Amino acid sequence: MIALLNYCVQTPFELRTTFVGLGHFRAMFHDYRFTDAVFRSLAFAAIALAIEIPLGLGLAYLLRKPGMINSIITALIALPTLFPPVTIGMMWLLMARKNGPLGMVMDFFLSGMFDPFRNATHAWGTIILMDVWHWTGLTFLVSLAAVSAIDESYIISARTEGATRWQIFRYAEFPQLVFPLTFVSLLRLIDALKIFDEVYVLTGGGPGLSTEFITQYIRTTGIEQWIIGYASAMSLVFNFIVLILSWLMLMILTGGRGLIE
Amino acid sequence: MAAARKDLLVNIIKVIFLAFICIIFILPVYFTFSVSISSKPRINAGAIIPDLYFGHWIEITKGYWKSGIINSAIVSLLCMVIALVISIPAAYAFVRYRFMADKHLFFWFLTNRMAPPVVFSIPYLMIWRGMGIWDTYQGLILAYMVFEIPITIWILASFIASIPREVDEAVLIDGYGTRDLFFKFILPLIKPAIGVAMFFAWLFAWTDMFFASVLTSVYSKTLPAQLLTALGKVGWGIEYGPAAAAGFVTLIPGLTLLYWVRRYIVMGFTFGRL
Repeated sequence: MIALLNYCVQTPFELRTTFVGLGHFRAMFHDYRFTDAVFRSLAFAAIALAIEIPLGLGLAYLLRKPGMINSIITALIALPTLFPPVTIGMMWLLMARKNGPLGMVMDFFLSGMFDPFRNATHAWGTIILMDVWHWTGLTFLVSLAAVSAIDESYIISARTEGATRWQIFRYAEFPQLVFPLTFVSLLRLIDALKIFDEVYVLTGGGPGLSTEFITQYIRTTGIEQWIIGYASAMSLVFNFIVLILSWLMLMILTGGRGLIE
Repeated sequence: MAAARKDLLVNIIKVIFLAFICIIFILPVYFTFSVSISSKPRINAGAIIPDLYFGHWIEITKGYWKSGIINSAIVSLLCMVIALVISIPAAYAFVRYRFMADKHLFFWFLTNRMAPPVVFSIPYLMIWRGMGIWDTYQGLILAYMVFEIPITIWILASFIASIPREVDEAVLIDGYGTRDLFFKFILPLIKPAIGVAMFFAWLFAWTDMFFASVLTSVYSKTLPAQLLTALGKVGWGIEYGPAAAAGFVTLIPGLTLLYWVRRYIVMGFTFGRL
């Protein structure tokens, strides 16, 4: 694939092959639209993670006791992870319209000023809410599995020594949760950087360019404007970032040991 | 007394919070369904309570919606079968045999699963057009394989690795051949993992919109891509009704299969490693 993309880099506009070498890569760093899109993607991933991980963990603590009602709620929260992203974009488009439930509730709080299609802040809020709705299920399920697997003996001995609830969590439970939480954080980080369908349907990058993420910019440049060389160069940089992150994930996963035991 | 009252208060807050969470998680699904069975004036007035108009559901059984549903079903089922046929032996080989660059190959599979589809889209579009498989089933399935085979191999490999090597040795000492070992002993042992891998292979092709929108145009356009086309027209002469109905069709498998797969969702998304 890399060879292929390099080939594309050397095949820029109008099907006349000219060698531009690293020209596209140099252009990228002077392209504000590109750097802004990268920054937006990272900011989005950070905000989404900052909400989803604590929310998933908190819900896991609330729902860790097995039971009929708890398993129904668990299933409800897990449900959106099985839905197509494009449909989720459409659902939230319907929700955020003037007469949709979200639009109505937000209009009530903002005295009729809620408009995710013109106001950048409202658009960001809607997108983040949508992503939290979509993926909290995954962080929640991973946390639930981790919380249920906590070794009770640590907690009992901590309690007999008179530790407070917070100290028990911080020193007895948290160390046992670090591994799965780190893993799911990295997984969600990569997936949040890759987000495309939902945002494309909901805002299409607008208003203006305020929700244009890196994936969207690559698609606009490559598929819609047909500037293949530059788009390929950007994909290459983007893929490199994701590659490093997945390598990191793998190292955490295997603790630096071999991949296949 | 004070402690008991505090406990009660905490419990009430918990119940209210959980009820709130449930409402938030069920509302978009309910609202989409509600829009799909509302007539157009009702949708424009906000369709929180539907007026039971089934025209949109009749509309999506005709024309391009119908072909979208059929294409989606064909492509996702074929993808599932092909991915499994290739990846079950591959996963077994990765776990049981050492060969040149096996670890690098295994990691390369993971990066394929992790790579953003948008990165692949441009070269794919050019190659697929050049090879004449653009807008065909086989072209779309080939594109999905790049993502699905890694998922299924990782899920299956983690499961096969948990079968002790002694099982293989015992079977071989008892005089069975390698073929019998694989079909009569290993396959029955990894049945649950095959189920999970099947579901996630199917899910990827069913939910993908990106490749479908780039690599197809008329003949093999799947339902999510069709949905995108319909939503693209939304700005001019809004048609939310059929889109909501078609969107709900894409949700139905998730809604119905959730009961069986709920325990395996984590396994599927984390390649069986957690």
